[in-house]
Amino acid sequence: MGQTRDIGGKKMSKNLKSEEILKYFKDEFKTKIKEGKIYKRVAGSKKNEKLGIWLKIDRTIFKDFIKHLCALQFPHLSVVSGNDLGETIELIYHFTLNSGKRMKEIELNVSVDLPKSKPEIETVCDFIPGALVTEREKQEMLGVKVIDIPDTRKLFLPDDIPDNVYPWRRDKTGPEKYYKNLHEVKK
Amino acid sequence: MKAKSTTKTSYHIPIGPIHPALKEPVHFEFEIDGERIVDVDVKLGHVHRGIEWAGSRRNPIQILYLAERICGICSYCHPIAFSLAVEGIADIEIPERAEYLRVIQGELERICSHMLWAGVAAHEIGFDSVLYITWEMRERALDLTEYLTGNRVTKAITMIGGVRRDITKDMIPRIQKDLKYLKDNFEKLRHIYLDDKTFKLRSKDCGILTNEEAVKLCAVGPTTRASGVKKDVRVDTSYFAYGDLDIDYMTPDVLTGEVNGDVYDRIVVRLLEVKQSIELIEQCLDKMPKGDIVAEPKVAKLLAQLKKVEGEGIGRHEAPRGEVVHYVKLTGEEHPYTWKVRAPTYNNILPWIPMLKGEQIADIPIVAASTDPCMSCTNRVGIIKDGNKNELTKEQLHQLSIQKTRRLMK
Amino acid sequence: MGFSMLGQVFAQMFKKPWTNKFPAKYQPSNTTKYLAKVAEGKAKINPPIEIPKGFRGKIKYDKDKCIGCKLCIKVCPTDAIEFKPEEKKIKIYLSRCCFCSQCNDICPTKCLSMGDEFLLADSDPYSKDLIVE
Repeated sequence: MGQTRDIGGKKMSKNLKSEEILKYFKDEFKTKIKEGKIYKRVAGSKKNEKLGIWLKIDRTIFKDFIKHLCALQFPHLSVVSGNDLGETIELIYHFTLNSGKRMKEIELNVSVDLPKSKPEIETVCDFIPGALVTEREKQEMLGVKVIDIPDTRKLFLPDDIPDNVYPWRRDKTGPEKYYKNLHEVKK
Repeated sequence: MKAKSTTKTSYHIPIGPIHPALKEPVHFEFEIDGERIVDVDVKLGHVHRGIEWAGSRRNPIQILYLAERICGICSYCHPIAFSLAVEGIADIEIPERAEYLRVIQGELERICSHMLWAGVAAHEIGFDSVLYITWEMRERALDLTEYLTGNRVTKAITMIGGVRRDITKDMIPRIQKDLKYLKDNFEKLRHIYLDDKTFKLRSKDCGILTNEEAVKLCAVGPTTRASGVKKDVRVDTSYFAYGDLDIDYMTPDVLTGEVNGDVYDRIVVRLLEVKQSIELIEQCLDKMPKGDIVAEPKVAKLLAQLKKVEGEGIGRHEAPRGEVVHYVKLTGEEHPYTWKVRAPTYNNILPWIPMLKGEQIADIPIVAASTDPCMSCTNRVGIIKDGNKNELTKEQLHQLSIQKTRRLMK
Repeated sequence: MGFSMLGQVFAQMFKKPWTNKFPAKYQPSNTTKYLAKVAEGKAKINPPIEIPKGFRGKIKYDKDKCIGCKLCIKVCPTDAIEFKPEEKKIKIYLSRCCFCSQCNDICPTKCLSMGDEFLLADSDPYSKDLIVE
């Protein structure tokens, strides 16, 4: 197996280093990258390292960022997680790069802040078709509108739940009315 | 098939949510033309239990046991991924002996899970005797699990910072005896699954997932390795003691020399992984250093330590079905602010669509079971023909699958 | 049936069954009388399978050693332990217990331990057999 892997006709080189990736994005997008930090974790007797990058980017360059990332090396999207931070909703896209070589994988976590008054974000399904399931989940759980998503139906919640109840939110659109406190059954 | 005067007849088959034999329900809708499947639609959400919400009301030690009950067969992977995430945030250093013990428990669980799957796959094809033989071997592995952890399924062996029980010197002869039994009988299993003509007829060129599709749809686990993609969290990253061990990607060309991405390749990958797990446990038993088994033995002190920490962390582990990811955010209170769980089957659902298009109805059980979903497939198949509802039960769908086997053998 | 399995299937006809045996081969017409006969030595039953060491069964509580620190209540994942403030001792509801033994690990005086019993099914969740205090 050589160093390159064919994806849809484009050849990408593997074995990107974490400093190179960070530098590439910082040079490309300059101030729109708000924070970028590399973390490590060692394990085992030989103390091999595991590397990862946390990036915080501005919402306006999101689609461009994904396009550049897919051109650099096609990532594997693990999942998108979300946080309700009061005024904003934070979405974190968990990617991994460099899979296929022993202990060279790098985790890339990209976090985007959306204002609660307009929680919209573009879809990544045209670049990464496997993101459909996780984007549908964010639509129903957090109330984020994903623009141009191919399928807008609910995924995990039942169809008869009202439209403006978002289980992961901590404000008044949260699910407080919808659970029974079975915890306090009489002892 | 009679065609209507205006449009071509195509049937819609809904395959419903509840199935008694598997763990979680899923709802399929097939559009079929004759016996061939034209389109597939998947609906989920029938076992949504609000576990992440329940986790936001419990302290990290309680969440370990809550996470264990997310899935019965991957009951070790979820607490361990949660533990990895929390240890990343709190920067806890894990003793080396604990890392090796975690590998042993994880690989033992992988052996049990893959053997359960192998039996279920044989049952879907119609081979019940192979089911009994495989599960007989699995019972030895389960007895070993009970000996090491106290219970066959809900192992409760994980603690943040290490493990809860040690493997002492007097336990090692029993482990080696059981590993020897599994290794000796592995050849029998391999001969039945891989050399038998019927298995080959049913599973070759059935349910194909190509390399490009597997990468684009972000599939994980043996489903994607069977299509030739080299993706395995144990080899790609260094966590637990996998960095010290001799481990490699298991793709079908290791055994057969070619990669097709069909059901047969998935059987090959899973059997190879059973052999790999046995070898990894032996390597661990040889190399395990002495030392503590947990970073902080006093649990009350651990809870106080976790209460002061702030940050976000990711924990990833290779479960028998693929990559398990947990994301945790701690903000200096007793309960975590956010806990996101991503089980491996959620990434393996979208590949069902290209796999099932073009197949026959009788192939649905074996193709769906070949990805080893942690959710159930069928209870009732309702065929709606011009308004007359004709329902097939699970037994009848199973019979269809067995009849196809008989037809192929003639 | 595939040819690879024929040999196994024939061999199985001459082997003993691999599964654990029931106490009696055929169900006796009156179970209590049968058990009384076994106690006297007039009938035999297959002995039950040995429980491995370290098995997590019904919880055992040593009341005298308990100091009422409430640490076990803090870690119980199912909220199965109740504090009795007037005596400063605890009461465990087995219908909620998930047998994780975390309370054993955290107890400073080691007054809790896991026993061997696992046949605990009952129709009333608050019956005497399912409360340990």
